[in-house]
Amino acid sequence: MELGNIKDTFDRVAKKQKLSSSKSQEVIDQVGHEIENALAKLQGDPASPVDQKSILVELQTKLSIIGSQSQLEGSQKELNINLSKYTKLLEKSFNPDISKAYRNVDFDFHTVNQIIASHFYRQGLFDIGECLTNESGEPEDTALKSHFLEMFQILEAMKARDLEPALNWVSNNREKLKQNGSNLELKLHRLQFVEILQKGGRADALNYARTYLAPFASLHMDEIQKLMACLLWAGRLDSSPYSELMVPSLWEKLAEELTRQFCSLLGQSYESPLSVAIAAGIEGLPTLLKLANVMAAKKQEWQAMKQLPVPVDLGREFQFHSIFVCPVSRDQGSEENPPMLMPCGHVLCKQSIMKLSKSSTRTFKCPYCPAESSVGQCMQLYF
Amino acid sequence: MEMESLPNGNSAAAVAAAAAAAAAVAPSSKLNQLAESLKLEHQFLRVPFEHFKKSIRANHRIVEKEMSAVISGVADAANADFSRDEAVHHLNSLVSRLQGLKRKLEEGSRTEHLQAQKCRARLDHLESADADNLSDWNNMRLKRILVDYMLRMSYYDTALKLVESSNLQDLVDVEVFHEAKRVIDALQNKEVAPALAWCAENKSRLKKSKMESKFEFQLRLQEFIELVRAENNLRAITYARKYLAPWGSTHMKELQRVMATLAFKSNTECATYKVLFEPKQWDYLVDQFKQEFCRLYGMTLEPLLNIYLQAGLSALKTPYCYQDDCTKEDPLSQDSFRKLALPLPYSKQHHSKLVCYITKELMDTENPPMVLPNGYVYSTKALEEMARKNNGQITCPRTGFVCNSSALVKAYIS
Repeated sequence: MELGNIKDTFDRVAKKQKLSSSKSQEVIDQVGHEIENALAKLQGDPASPVDQKSILVELQTKLSIIGSQSQLEGSQKELNINLSKYTKLLEKSFNPDISKAYRNVDFDFHTVNQIIASHFYRQGLFDIGECLTNESGEPEDTALKSHFLEMFQILEAMKARDLEPALNWVSNNREKLKQNGSNLELKLHRLQFVEILQKGGRADALNYARTYLAPFASLHMDEIQKLMACLLWAGRLDSSPYSELMVPSLWEKLAEELTRQFCSLLGQSYESPLSVAIAAGIEGLPTLLKLANVMAAKKQEWQAMKQLPVPVDLGREFQFHSIFVCPVSRDQGSEENPPMLMPCGHVLCKQSIMKLSKSSTRTFKCPYCPAESSVGQCMQLYF
Repeated sequence: MEMESLPNGNSAAAVAAAAAAAAAVAPSSKLNQLAESLKLEHQFLRVPFEHFKKSIRANHRIVEKEMSAVISGVADAANADFSRDEAVHHLNSLVSRLQGLKRKLEEGSRTEHLQAQKCRARLDHLESADADNLSDWNNMRLKRILVDYMLRMSYYDTALKLVESSNLQDLVDVEVFHEAKRVIDALQNKEVAPALAWCAENKSRLKKSKMESKFEFQLRLQEFIELVRAENNLRAITYARKYLAPWGSTHMKELQRVMATLAFKSNTECATYKVLFEPKQWDYLVDQFKQEFCRLYGMTLEPLLNIYLQAGLSALKTPYCYQDDCTKEDPLSQDSFRKLALPLPYSKQHHSKLVCYITKELMDTENPPMVLPNGYVYSTKALEEMARKNNGQITCPRTGFVCNSSALVKAYIS
């Protein structure tokens, strides 16, 4: 799709439209001019007599000449031709009907409204979320909203270089963060330590370290040692070997990590589920539209199907589950038909193995290598 | 920064690593996808263009009407027997009419210019999408899709807030939806006048469309029924003669059916005619108007949000999504999404795609799956890391099974 070509075509349309517009103005001016002339003749000298009829007839003739000479119709026709050219170009370059793949199923708009409101809370757009809840009349998810409100308050504070709310939160959730394998608390204290060192000086920083960094000493000795060494460069940390502790991007990275941990503790995803689902839809829709077209041409039923007949390829970021597809039967692995590992290292689904071994009586050959095995030698796999 | 070993497969830190790996995907495929996704934006370009065409047509009509009035005004004067003063008076009125026309045209010109600018702004916006600003551009797209949904659902305040907060003014079609709202509100108040006016405005376009539009006919039928309901039978018959008769040649059966209501009262129990008196008929009119309106402007009938959401949910839907241990990063782990996806088809895969439970990364030829003696499978990278930190000892995070890394067997998945 050539956007440059489309833009040129539109420019032509705009040009023709301006032309047509100016022709209209021209004709109006000409007509107005002739009428004014006739008026002048009629009004001319109040004393001398005037043949108004002939003036009017003359005016009528002049107007019909203007009419026949005007290029008004011509320019309008040109414009219309270009207008329809552009419309056709749009229909050719873009998919004119993306609703062809839509299924007429019950798509409950109440659920959609609630999903959108949650999305707004996640993005920190609280007033828009509230407005939506009001306008749509849906019940408010106060719990979710207040959680994200808390998160954004912490993040706003961090943007203003205030780590207090963040430190409060991590100390309140210390155990869960440990379970998640996160050392967010240490990182926050470290950042705070560096801030104090830059502003307050050695004494304050040392105090801070004694109070807050000491508990981490046993597990993170090398980090603590680094930070203690920073004391030697108080006020000129940027010229020390530890200058990387001062880069502003550290704050952003830490904000991101806090967001991740916060969402994880809430049992929520890091990305808004609506964003992910829509992104998947944008990636997958072209394939679905092609499929809908092909099926419509073959008069096959699009609306009711249990499974899509073709794969829709999405990026890696959308792969949330392991899907095993047996290379022999092309069936998807399931509880009734799990993947089985053969001694040679190749994997087939259970039903394929049963078929190959004629229901577990004989040994069979792996379809990929000449190794033989029996059903008993195959092990069920858990991805 | 070092991270401690990861005992829990759902750890947020693991997800971060996986996301980082995914983001390193070859940029050319992302650009290809972007190009494909731009082709879905027909509505984005078409709606302001239709609006632009409509202004052009309206201005043409004004010019034609006024000009022919002035010219025939001159002809009348030429044929009549005017006195000098009468002639002057007459010509003066024509002059002021022309001046009025000029003013209207100037205003019309300004409107047309703004609309052309809007069309251009949208073309520029599509062109502006590239590898560097991809995530911002996609964010804008999501917001556009949300505004489209709000406008269709009549959540105007929310739509406006969203438009203002992200500067989307040129990229959304608020005025177009307001135009529709006027007609829809009137219809819901049982008034057909705005709808009929809309039909008159768009007469030429409605005729050209491939399906013979009988929306105007339906409106007239409903007005007739309302007259019958109010027991104004004589007026109803006059109305029918004037407005319904012309449609007789093409829609005789329906015409007869509705005319027959004259014989009944509005609280009739007769099924065939009872349904015509029901307020639901007005809802049908609203639906029909929406269909005609969307068709004329090149808009989809359903909100863009629903179209993309259905596609996404179907592409993501697997039986594993509905299990309790479904990862929280999957949108289908949420109840609301599960509910929406219930009637939609499952996705299909032709090739195995395996995700390591520990790192959430893809297990492929670069990072092949390794099998523990108990049948549980993890990626080579995860197991190597675990062995390195634990003296060659492997502990299955899901079953607690312990073994040595030498007991691992490689699985070959095609």
